[in-house]
Amino acid sequence: MDAMERRVFLKGAGMGVLAFTVGGANVLMTPGEARARGVPFRLLKANEAETIEALGETLVPGAQSAGIAHFIDQQVSVTPGEALLEARQLNVKPPFVNFYRAAIGAVDKASEARSGRRFAALSTTDQHDFVDLMRQNKIEGWQGPAGGFVYFVLRSDAVDVVYGTMDGYESLGVPYMPHIAPEKRW
Amino acid sequence: MATQEKVDVVIVGAGASGSVYAAVLAKAGKKVVVLDNGPDWQTSDLISSDIWGRRIKPAGAPFLLEGKHPVSMGAQGGWGVGGAALHYFANFPRLLPNDFRIKSEHNRAHDWPISYEDVAPYYDKVAQEVGVSGDAKAEELWRPKGQTYPMPPMKTFKNGQVWLKGFEANGIRLVPAPVGMNSVEFKGRPACIYDGWCHVGCPIGALANPLVTFLSDARKAGAEVRAWSTVTRVLTDASGNKVTGVEYYDQKHEKQFQPASAVVLAAWGGQNPRLLLNSAAGKHANGLANSGGLVGKYVMTHFASGTNAMFDEEVETAMGTIGAQYMSYERYGKTAHQGAFGSTFIVAGFASKVSGLGGIANTRPDLFGADLHAFMKRAVKNLARITAFGEEQPKIENRVELASEKDEFGMPLGRIVHNYDDNDAALWNANFEEGLKIAKATDAKDVWQGRGAQPTIHFMGGTIMGTNAGNSVVDSFGQTHEIPNLYVAGPGIFATAGASNPTYTVFALSLRGAENLAKTWSTVAG
Repeated sequence: MDAMERRVFLKGAGMGVLAFTVGGANVLMTPGEARARGVPFRLLKANEAETIEALGETLVPGAQSAGIAHFIDQQVSVTPGEALLEARQLNVKPPFVNFYRAAIGAVDKASEARSGRRFAALSTTDQHDFVDLMRQNKIEGWQGPAGGFVYFVLRSDAVDVVYGTMDGYESLGVPYMPHIAPEKRW
Repeated sequence: MATQEKVDVVIVGAGASGSVYAAVLAKAGKKVVVLDNGPDWQTSDLISSDIWGRRIKPAGAPFLLEGKHPVSMGAQGGWGVGGAALHYFANFPRLLPNDFRIKSEHNRAHDWPISYEDVAPYYDKVAQEVGVSGDAKAEELWRPKGQTYPMPPMKTFKNGQVWLKGFEANGIRLVPAPVGMNSVEFKGRPACIYDGWCHVGCPIGALANPLVTFLSDARKAGAEVRAWSTVTRVLTDASGNKVTGVEYYDQKHEKQFQPASAVVLAAWGGQNPRLLLNSAAGKHANGLANSGGLVGKYVMTHFASGTNAMFDEEVETAMGTIGAQYMSYERYGKTAHQGAFGSTFIVAGFASKVSGLGGIANTRPDLFGADLHAFMKRAVKNLARITAFGEEQPKIENRVELASEKDEFGMPLGRIVHNYDDNDAALWNANFEEGLKIAKATDAKDVWQGRGAQPTIHFMGGTIMGTNAGNSVVDSFGQTHEIPNLYVAGPGIFATAGASNPTYTVFALSLRGAENLAKTWSTVAG
């Protein structure tokens, strides 16, 4: 990677830019931009993305517009070695899409069993209450990865897209302070 | 299977321990090849981001992690050239004399086959080699005298200073924490700029990761580092008395044989026993160096008791390093806490970033939604933290073994079973209690702790050192008892865990082992 590429890459990394597929070509943009432009999902189905967005927004306000579903969709479509998901550090076994599908399925199944509606169709108050029970593993009849673990992983993803970028730091009023790009390699 | 040109030594793993062996042996004129299963990272790849920093963490799942307290391989391990030492915190406390003789002094666990005095000269050599900032004289409160560190202590920030009052009130003395970071320019590497991104890799070389220290020296001395090379077996000759090299798969997934006069296993602590077990052949039917059945046994980790405090004033939460500003061995005595055996190592003051496993958001994992946002707005400026690391006592049941499921190369996955016992839990809790007392004696507005699952930090054991094959896998140099030209390096050879961050000791033991291999080369591998 030469100096120019390095600077471009650093800028992209700080902004949270990823490669999304638009019209068959890879285009660099943030997950939020991908959502705003309606970039098609690579692996997630529409209802799965809808559940992720609703969960993300409940966990961290702003996660939906920050593109949490596009972030996860793009990330589960790349190799485990390229993936930037917190799941990677939490001993989730690749392919990571299997975990997310199981997690989303568990959430919607439990939501339908409790109220006859998928999670995304619940009121904001009911979504909050559902997540509060899920994080404590207190939803009866839960089927899938442990609710507390689903909460932790999805919350981490939401924290990433809302707070973990340069824009996120700025929104919290804290300096990002990236390192100086090295002039040379050792 | 293609056969590569024979070399003097093949080293499996380009992390902390492998890089030391590579540097010492290459400088001694040996032809060295280092094989690593991941990318050939450059310092320019180390992006200041918790999101992008995950690229240097383990990428696959070659281990099944089981037990009540599964080891946290994903967070603790590394991937690629530099290994876990590419993202380590560079806290450089050393083990103390009492760590080496637990059996003699307390009739528990086991003694090391060496004493502190055997390792101390290598701590000093490593400090001069890679650069350590600290106050060695101040540490003599608790340890024998040694050389001074080559650099003065690092700067302190309010997120560390606010704790001084609380420690003093509880009679716990603090001294500057020794760290493998540059407080001033050192050997052409710049001084730290205190931006707190150490844990995702330091691209400027102010932190002593292998890329800018031993591995750089090794390459200059002619060592070849082959990335994307996954070793699956160590091969032995017909007699079973010598190893002849290693079998590995290259980036194209083609099988290769790398012949060598000596083999050093310096992969992740769980991977070395997996390789030894998977190399069973001939008279080594249960795996290499495993006649005593101890390969994979005595896996150990550290457990942290963290205390968080929110202050009315801003405390420069994001500033400093991820390594500590202050440290204390005041509770390092094995019986320092009544009813809980084992050492405790305490650190205070470190930078906290917003996201990531160790980030601010996870200090209150119970919060979400608007409550989390309100907390974050305050915590990014007013939060400060301390951590006490506890020593797990070795248990033979905590182990690495082969599973029936196989990886992409046809190698059985490893299974790591790990459980803490009641004593470990008691020490963890005692450290929480003390942390709370310390925090309450500061000016903090709110103090809290997160007691979820008992964490498993660092990975030690699995190929422990001892006096013979009946009580251990390797000797104090890392040389296997049964095959003279087969070495194991890294924290896996620790006989007990101590409570200190392990990498300084990994560097020191590896330097000692590598120098011994070079010195005894003609009898070991000639």
